[in-house]
Amino acid sequence: MEQTKDEVLSVKDLSFAYGMVSALRQVSMEIRRGEFVALIGANGAGKSTFMATVLGINRASGGSVCFMGEKITHRPTDRIVASGICLCPEGRGILPEMNIMDNLLLGAYHNRSNIDQSLSRVFRIFPILAERKGQSAGTLSGGQQQMLSIGRALMGIPKLLMLDEPSLGLAPLLVREILEILHGLARDGQTILLAEQNVRKALQYASRAYVFETGKIVLAGPSEDLMKNEAVIEAYLGGSAEV
Amino acid sequence: MEGFLAQSINGLALGSIYGLLVTGFNLLLLVGGIIPFVYPFVVVICMYVTWAVMGATGESLLLAIPATILSATVLTVLMEPLFRPLAKRKAEAQTFVMAVGLSMILTHIMALHLNHGFPVSFSASLVGREAAIKLGLVVVSRGQLLTFLGTIAAVVAFMYLLYRTMPGRAFRSMAQNPLVARLLGIPINRSAVASYGVAGVLGGVTAVFLAMALGTAYPILGENLALKTLAVALFAGMGNLRGGLICGLILGMAEGLATGYIAGLWSNAVAFGMIMVVVILRPKGLFGVKF
Repeated sequence: MEQTKDEVLSVKDLSFAYGMVSALRQVSMEIRRGEFVALIGANGAGKSTFMATVLGINRASGGSVCFMGEKITHRPTDRIVASGICLCPEGRGILPEMNIMDNLLLGAYHNRSNIDQSLSRVFRIFPILAERKGQSAGTLSGGQQQMLSIGRALMGIPKLLMLDEPSLGLAPLLVREILEILHGLARDGQTILLAEQNVRKALQYASRAYVFETGKIVLAGPSEDLMKNEAVIEAYLGGSAEV
Repeated sequence: MEGFLAQSINGLALGSIYGLLVTGFNLLLLVGGIIPFVYPFVVVICMYVTWAVMGATGESLLLAIPATILSATVLTVLMEPLFRPLAKRKAEAQTFVMAVGLSMILTHIMALHLNHGFPVSFSASLVGREAAIKLGLVVVSRGQLLTFLGTIAAVVAFMYLLYRTMPGRAFRSMAQNPLVARLLGIPINRSAVASYGVAGVLGGVTAVFLAMALGTAYPILGENLALKTLAVALFAGMGNLRGGLICGLILGMAEGLATGYIAGLWSNAVAFGMIMVVVILRPKGLFGVKF
């Protein structure tokens, strides 16, 4: 694995176990600047665990994580976030009793110098958040909460934006809208790592993908190749069923 | 009518102090994740600091007040490492036991080593009994006026910190969802220490106002105040900041009026009786558990 200057995230043999149960087994992955990469796999395959381990929420039991050429394994989460990895967690992780503005501002905890700029950018992408900025976040609909979660992550001006199942519980039309927005961000140069159970959609938008199964990567490659891969079709794209 | 007004003014001054106490208590409860039964004891021991510094400096308020606030802050922050392992495990009941233990130590220090356990009294320059406002027979003393205005200022400053600044937002996020706060990159440990610091500053301010309002401090005062603070917090709904302020005022008023109209010793019974009724009828408190 050669080190290039473009490498944003470089993970080598990352392992993590919940007690005796190993949840990540020697996962290796590279993401280059401006890439839109998907992690696909069934529920419980290790996608969320992987993201939590990269972010330092889970303490890696082996392997290493390099971000922007620096080793960040075992660093505290707040330092990792400060260095530029922001996560939209599964279930959105909004703070329902705080208003939308406060939720967004918390995203800029480590990026206070140009809050106004990032705020106007987020409001441009998600105008609904500007309209409702004084309301408590719990009053938003599911789709709007997801937008808030993404907007909040963008407030940190991440060098790597990680999203864990942003489509969860959303109507197909909203899923499409969210993915289009991510696509637009990627086109503007945002590096994105997206974990998705909705494999068909994920492969449609991401340029590359890693397939997780029981805590390890079983397949990797460009999205077009994976879409034609028989094992992927068999397991995730199941015949002709429209997702 | 004058008697009613005079007792109301007393009650308002006392109630605003209860409100301040409950605010610091709630902050530790919400952000620190502990049941800080020991907090009012720290406040009382810092009243002794006020007394000692005033005694040593020839009644200098300019030195005594900052010394009180500083000592309350330092003492409160020093407790954080003791509570941290319990708070991390969300062992709230155990934090209560720890707090009670620390309270006993502080009470013993006061009872055995501070002024040989005798009550201390604060000089007139601090208490300020002279009239500031006179309306007919109703007199508001300087101390009462300062206490009331000072608590308002302290609460406004605290609310500003909590709702308008980044550390305040971090506190609130930790109170609502510690895991999300961590994901957002909030430095959890540092923020927890900071919240103890803020509670300590509030505690120091409270100590000064208590000294003004009561004119005295004694070892058992910590326990009295701790029971009341816990009761008011339950009365309002654990962790409900605004509710705690309002209920602190209600308790102070109830006590003040009870003192005026019923034989003195009944004031506590009235206050706690009220709280018991509320806790039975509304287990989540008058305003509910909310942040």
